[in-house]
Amino acid sequence: MDDGTSQYYFTASMDSGKTLHSLLKAIQFQESAVFCAMSEGLKLTVEEGKCVQASAYVPADNFTEYHVRDDVDVIFKISIAVLTECLNIFGASEESSLKMYYRSEGSPLLLVLQPQSVHTVMTDCEIATQTADCLLELRDEDATEVAKLVLKASAFLGLLADLERSCDVMELHLSPDHPNVSIVTYGMQDRSCIEVPKSSDMMQSFSCEQPVTLKYQLPHIRLIMKALAISSKVVLRCSSNGLLLLQLKLEKDEQRQMFSEFHIVPLLDDY
Amino acid sequence: MKFRGIMIDAGPMREFTNIVTTISKLSKECVLRLSDDKLYFIVSEDNSGPAPPVLWCEIPQVVFFSEYQMIGIDEEHKDIYLSVISANLAKSLVTLKSAKSLKIKLTKKQCPCLTLEIEMQSVISQQSRQVTHDIPVVVVPRKMWSDFHEPKVQTPDISIELPTLKQLRTTIDRMRTMAQEVVIRASAEGKLTLQIKTDMAKVSTRFKDLRVEAFEGPIDHSDSETESVAIEDISKLCHCRVDAKKFSMFLSADNISHNRTICSIVHKKLVILCLYTQENVKLQCFITGIVY
Repeated sequence: MDDGTSQYYFTASMDSGKTLHSLLKAIQFQESAVFCAMSEGLKLTVEEGKCVQASAYVPADNFTEYHVRDDVDVIFKISIAVLTECLNIFGASEESSLKMYYRSEGSPLLLVLQPQSVHTVMTDCEIATQTADCLLELRDEDATEVAKLVLKASAFLGLLADLERSCDVMELHLSPDHPNVSIVTYGMQDRSCIEVPKSSDMMQSFSCEQPVTLKYQLPHIRLIMKALAISSKVVLRCSSNGLLLLQLKLEKDEQRQMFSEFHIVPLLDDY
Repeated sequence: MKFRGIMIDAGPMREFTNIVTTISKLSKECVLRLSDDKLYFIVSEDNSGPAPPVLWCEIPQVVFFSEYQMIGIDEEHKDIYLSVISANLAKSLVTLKSAKSLKIKLTKKQCPCLTLEIEMQSVISQQSRQVTHDIPVVVVPRKMWSDFHEPKVQTPDISIELPTLKQLRTTIDRMRTMAQEVVIRASAEGKLTLQIKTDMAKVSTRFKDLRVEAFEGPIDHSDSETESVAIEDISKLCHCRVDAKKFSMFLSADNISHNRTICSIVHKKLVILCLYTQENVKLQCFITGIVY
């Protein structure tokens, strides 16, 4: 860039903002997000009541041009609702190119969008930025991974959709023995259980040494459903402290990938 | 008072249906004015008492009707004004898109009614069916006619061709989720800008290379909080702030197939959207500007 933007904290451009839009939409369960541009890529993080942390991660190679100044931290809070609306300003049927600029701390984030099919129109957005709140540090260095599953996202989504909507709690049993995975929910008068052996088609890989039982709030688990709907593969990791980490790979034809990631805190009542 | 008309051409019947459907989305009630050479649909703002119409649609009867007869009250008052619930009319006309013919007449049942007789061609046999709808109407008394005169507006400062309504509506609908009001700017150089401003964001969508139909400049900006657009000559720029929801509703007229649409702006006061169709229908929407 030689038009005087080289001193900007952060600039980036991509041919189509559509995938980014659907990725952000998938984690948009809160009004604002923490926007963080690192040299490896762009990350937006949303938190729900200190229990769920969701991030959208866009590696730098998704951008046709990507520049972050390395002597400063590019991190701020932004309305993710406004950001997604702006990305979609020309509607879902239109592919539009996207440019992003962030001059310096306290400046608004500038977006410039132009549809690929029509050249006589463009949109520019100035979105206000705020100082970022502290994000939860959920990763515990001492905790070890006790189980790792790789699942097909669409099948896992179908499974979650089958769970009773009125339930609050979901129990996840993982074991090296058959059935390897069982998901139990308790309703008013019933107990339902879904069992998935590791030989199942939806299971691409399964590793678990010791049987574990973990409880999660079902509404928290449901937050990942939108992201599952647009993803192809999900990696589910349980750590010894019960923290559930889900890493989702976005469905895309090209080589370049985008990801979303969810950390979900367990219910610890009787453990 | 008498009125009777017959439509037999598919194109005009489709268009008539689309016009009525659009109107039914905008307003609960509308006034149908019948005159010798034209039909008018007139919408005044709901529940706001006598106010100038917000929608004015002229339909030339010659293009739409193969037969058209009407007799008004007397020699001096040749027209007929009927007030009708627009949704009723729209629902009855749904089948018209695939109909063979439509007979429309003013009848007296328990109350005055517009009677629609729609002849449908059966898909499987040669026979046709006839569907009859009676839509209750209220005959608007003569002394209230003046409420439904064509709005007299100041000469617009600018008239500019609009980009496709569908595109415009998508953009406005996105903006509407962020702000209630949108500022429309048009310049004599053929640029049109839609802008919203909130605490969170400022979003501007700019269209360029639009045909300017008329320009009555220069525009006087002396009293405004001049937001200096340094590059442009602001005397060629005129703007108006309107309710985003209203603007979006009027843009729903995009389902009427049209030849061209013109946006006229009276600086800071009024936006007029005017749509011309193939069948010579002219549909105008008036959106008053919001001034602080």
